[in-house]
Amino acid sequence: MYRNDPILPTFALILAAGLFYAAYLDGQHIARLLGHTPLELSVGQIGLMAFGAVLLLYGLIGLVSYWLEGPELRPGRHFPTPSTAPVAAGVVLVLLLTALSGFFVRLLVYSAQTGHNPTWLQGLIFGSISLVVAALFGIYKRFFGRDEVITEEEKSEFPW
Amino acid sequence: MYKWLDERLDLTGLYHKVLRKAFPVHHSFFLGEITLFAFVVLVLTGVFLTLNYEPSIREVRLPDGRTVPAAYASVLYIDSLPFGAVIRSLHHWSAHVMIAAAFLHMLRILLSGAYKKPRELNYLVGLGLLGLAVVTAFTGYALPYDNYAVTATRIGYGIAHSIPWIGGTLAEIMFGGEFPGSEKAIPRLFSLHVLWLPLLLMALIGAHLAIMVKQKHTQPRYAERVAPGKILGVPMYPQQMVMMIILFALYVGIMTLIAGAFLAHPIEAFGPPTPNTPAVKPDWYFLWLYGLLQIIPSSWEFHLFGAVIGPEFIGGVVVPGILALIGLLLPFVDTRKDKMRYMELPSEHPVRTSAILALLAFFLMSTLAGYKIDFQQQGSLLGNNAVLWTLVLGGPLLTFLLSYTLIRIFYGKKEEVSEAGKS
Repeated sequence: MYRNDPILPTFALILAAGLFYAAYLDGQHIARLLGHTPLELSVGQIGLMAFGAVLLLYGLIGLVSYWLEGPELRPGRHFPTPSTAPVAAGVVLVLLLTALSGFFVRLLVYSAQTGHNPTWLQGLIFGSISLVVAALFGIYKRFFGRDEVITEEEKSEFPW
Repeated sequence: MYKWLDERLDLTGLYHKVLRKAFPVHHSFFLGEITLFAFVVLVLTGVFLTLNYEPSIREVRLPDGRTVPAAYASVLYIDSLPFGAVIRSLHHWSAHVMIAAAFLHMLRILLSGAYKKPRELNYLVGLGLLGLAVVTAFTGYALPYDNYAVTATRIGYGIAHSIPWIGGTLAEIMFGGEFPGSEKAIPRLFSLHVLWLPLLLMALIGAHLAIMVKQKHTQPRYAERVAPGKILGVPMYPQQMVMMIILFALYVGIMTLIAGAFLAHPIEAFGPPTPNTPAVKPDWYFLWLYGLLQIIPSSWEFHLFGAVIGPEFIGGVVVPGILALIGLLLPFVDTRKDKMRYMELPSEHPVRTSAILALLAFFLMSTLAGYKIDFQQQGSLLGNNAVLWTLVLGGPLLTFLLSYTLIRIFYGKKEEVSEAGKS
């Protein structure tokens, strides 16, 4: 609550890993009781994984925020330092994005033609596309975006 | 092009008035944004689902010869579409994530005292949003109309029906008749789920954001040192916008991975509704209520002004009602005279922090009580009602005492040392 520290987000990631592992153990326990692995997730597994997902997202964006915005803001303009490595990383990521997008479309056509829906692969490819987009915006903000920290009066006339 | 639009719409004025708004930076603020993005994904995936879903329980024949309700058949159809099962799973997961994120967001508000003057009203709107999100999720639960969903929804129907004097009317409004059985139930739940409740959610989210912009965000404590009396932050455009895009992309990426790998509600595994009631539990966010219903003895029943006050009403309505009342009154009990600008540190408020941890312990222990029957089947000590009551009541008490003592030991001394240093 004091500054934009990386400690809480790191703990959130550790806790998220713990919750996902607990969901896995719950699944193992249920499979042992039933004698087989059920198709559906239990209520407990869904709850553990939902909180795990929120903490994972919170931990990741918290660390990204610490990386991109720092622990404390200081008023003023901050200009990026030009560098070749981020450009190369950006080009590689854009190529990867193109390849993944093409593969995703091909996968949809395959599913439409055969009626076979490999959901895990569809989720993996679409999720990867979105994560690559996140990485590209992260690189842009870190190495190419002009940052500005401003101060504002408490009273304003917006929205009324 | 920009000049042409600017001359007509005064875009520069919009930029200076809206897009230059200062956003304070702290990782905990992203919990609210995760909640918002879960809602956005719910709306987007929900649009796809409504295009293919049939809200009816009329009997239809599947290609394999089975006769099933139309709602169930349409969900099978959605799952057969390319990427359809992933979109439905993403919708389901996003509902869970929205409630979990809203709950954690509320915890942050409570722990940092952000409900105090001048934000009391926005805190109440937030509480309403959390409640409404749970109700909206519940109305969607029965829509696949499989054996599990129907049985789980029946528990909610029973709770609504148990409310004295108004229960019958409330159940009629929500379910359009007896559930399961009434042909009006699914169309009624469908219209509530895809139209009225989302519209209400959108209106409340709009109000929540508008009040937040007007009153300004609480700030991390260090901002008091850097820019006292002012709002220190990054402009809405482009910096905050880029961070929001990154978070949205992360959300879609991670949740699609999870939704594809773990289909949240595979209806083929449950089958269409049958007279045989499967052993089900309600969703995790109702499990604490279900746990209370499990441990409240059936003998707790009496008559009042012609109405029956039973265990279902006590566990399902009275206890959450008391908690909701405490939540509603909190900003008017724990107050401060001056305007709150900076987040309070949890360590500086040991009673409040310990009470919140005790509340968490209560939810966890009540949720544990939801597994009473499973514990009994396994011959566990936790299947005993007395043990569960001890945990539900004693767990929070112990948590409070332990937390309060630890905060006083570790942070009380620090405060005393810093105060001694000042003098």
